Amino acid sequence: MARTIAYRGFYAVLLLVASSFIVFYGMRLAPGDVADVIASHPTGQLTVERVREDLGLNNPLLVQYAHYMGDLLTGDLGISLITGEPIAEILRTSSIYTLKLAALAALLSIGLAIPLGILAAAKRNSLFDQATMLVAVIGMGIPNFFLAVLLIQLFTVRLGWLPVAGYETPKHIIMPALVLAAEALAINLRVVRSSALEELSRDYVRTLKAKGMTNSRILWVHVLRNSLPPVIALAGIMMRTLLGYTLIVETIFRWPGLGYQLVNAVLKRDYTLAQTLAILLTAAVILFNTIADLLQQWADPRTRGGSGH
Amino acid sequence: MSAGDLATINPQLPPEATVTTAPSRTWGDRLAPFLANKLAVIGAILTSFFLIVACIGAAIMYVPGWNDLYIDQRLRETLLRPLSPGFPLGTDQFGRDMMWRIAAGTAVSLFTGVAVTVISMFFGMILGAIAGYKGGIIDRLISAIIDLVWGFPVILVAVILVGMLKPGLTAVILAVSLVNWAGFARIVRAQVISLKERAFVEAARALGVPSWKIILRHLIPNMLGTSLVMASYYIAVTVIAEAGLAFIGLGAQPPTPSLGQMISEGRNFLYANPWVAILPGATIALIVLGLNTLGDGLRDIFDPHLRRW
Repeated sequence: MARTIAYRGFYAVLLLVASSFIVFYGMRLAPGDVADVIASHPTGQLTVERVREDLGLNNPLLVQYAHYMGDLLTGDLGISLITGEPIAEILRTSSIYTLKLAALAALLSIGLAIPLGILAAAKRNSLFDQATMLVAVIGMGIPNFFLAVLLIQLFTVRLGWLPVAGYETPKHIIMPALVLAAEALAINLRVVRSSALEELSRDYVRTLKAKGMTNSRILWVHVLRNSLPPVIALAGIMMRTLLGYTLIVETIFRWPGLGYQLVNAVLKRDYTLAQTLAILLTAAVILFNTIADLLQQWADPRTRGGSGH
Repeated sequence: MSAGDLATINPQLPPEATVTTAPSRTWGDRLAPFLANKLAVIGAILTSFFLIVACIGAAIMYVPGWNDLYIDQRLRETLLRPLSPGFPLGTDQFGRDMMWRIAAGTAVSLFTGVAVTVISMFFGMILGAIAGYKGGIIDRLISAIIDLVWGFPVILVAVILVGMLKPGLTAVILAVSLVNWAGFARIVRAQVISLKERAFVEAARALGVPSWKIILRHLIPNMLGTSLVMASYYIAVTVIAEAGLAFIGLGAQPPTPSLGQMISEGRNFLYANPWVAILPGATIALIVLGLNTLGDGLRDIFDPHLRRW
């Protein structure tokens, strides 16, 4: 296992360098001159000269990249081209918002899926089971942005319970978290249910029953524990998918997390901010990929050892 | 080699078996397994319906005299509800006919889906086949790229690409293709690895047929069924991604009609007329449902073991 981790770690670093390189050059090649951006967003704090110097635009590209990565790694992130705010500050506040949202979504999707999925399996073909599976089908079938609109229509327009967008009160997090969790919840529900069904048909369940153990103890201790590996194996993939969805969900609900900041920076052509956010989020995906692979191997020992698939 | 030669090589072969031709199959026979699969039929009907809608949509976008149908704003009341006289699906905030707007948006959605799928299928099949067939260092290299790209959040890639290019369909098509080809390549690679051990491939190799010819003539035709199944899933994935990006303002730009854009604009009128947002959303959900059920049905026919994830 240690060797696998070392191998995966090395590979991840390689990918980090390659992807940051691509993002850096790609954004440099973007149309429009930095001077235009500044001219269109006069903040008084920035001058073309200062920005050119800050970004080292007069140096060769490779030097610029080396400087940029050096600054990034030492925590000197520069300032936003448009607002003049320090990028480190933007990152600090928005990553807290994203973490809050992601944690709640993960809690919802896993915390609901496990008990509901196991109950559905225990009461196979009952009304409860069918209702749960219907929710799963809907959760997987409806695109998240459309689900968001439907929830806004229900909770804001019809019932008036929740605010439409923003971040000021605790109520603001409910809808984005629900939308973000929906697909993962649906997938987890199906996975937990089918894995619990498989466990319930195993010999040990019959043996425990014969020994006089209560059904609920068998279900909530033994079957539960043995049904978890597929969910754990999926968790890494889920994180990566959720990260992609935060871009859309945060933008819809104007939740000021990393995804919202990136989409906004791209739309406003705020290169310095967009570039740093893009590199960091790409790094997060690579990290999640690595974790997903390792979790998969930990949960399913059959996939250990080989480097390929 | 004629049938007579075969009989002399293999004396056990009953001579009549080599002469009789396969009984000619009617179209009814060929379609029987498909028609027996209710899922596939429902999916096929839904998908054909939206294909027809898309053709109508494309016609009103490109036939000069018909443009008025979806951009006409003259003398019309705004925000008519569905089933208003003359406007079966109502009108939007500018008094434009929702029915024709949705048709045009469907055309754009399906065009994007098909374009992305053709591009990614082309590269995915070729690279996957080469990796699986050649093995060795070439396989390791291509597999490493597949592992990196496959499962990378499409939305993140698209947002970064929009940062490098500009918002619009081109960036969306490029971004989704950049990720999706790896999905095809993975499956094709695995299939080629199992196919290349089969007798007919070995026979071709023994006869000195060059690899590229074996891949094109023998391997790829054998994978068309699976690819068809995957294509319907991937078109659905692309339709969702395109709409999601359009929703947050990074996809197709006005005046190109897009379902995602329509939902996004409709959000501002949820109190006055929620249908302006709900109808295009339901259209996307139905397109995706149709493609997914068609894919599931085709999978049952062609490749029951293929898993979606």
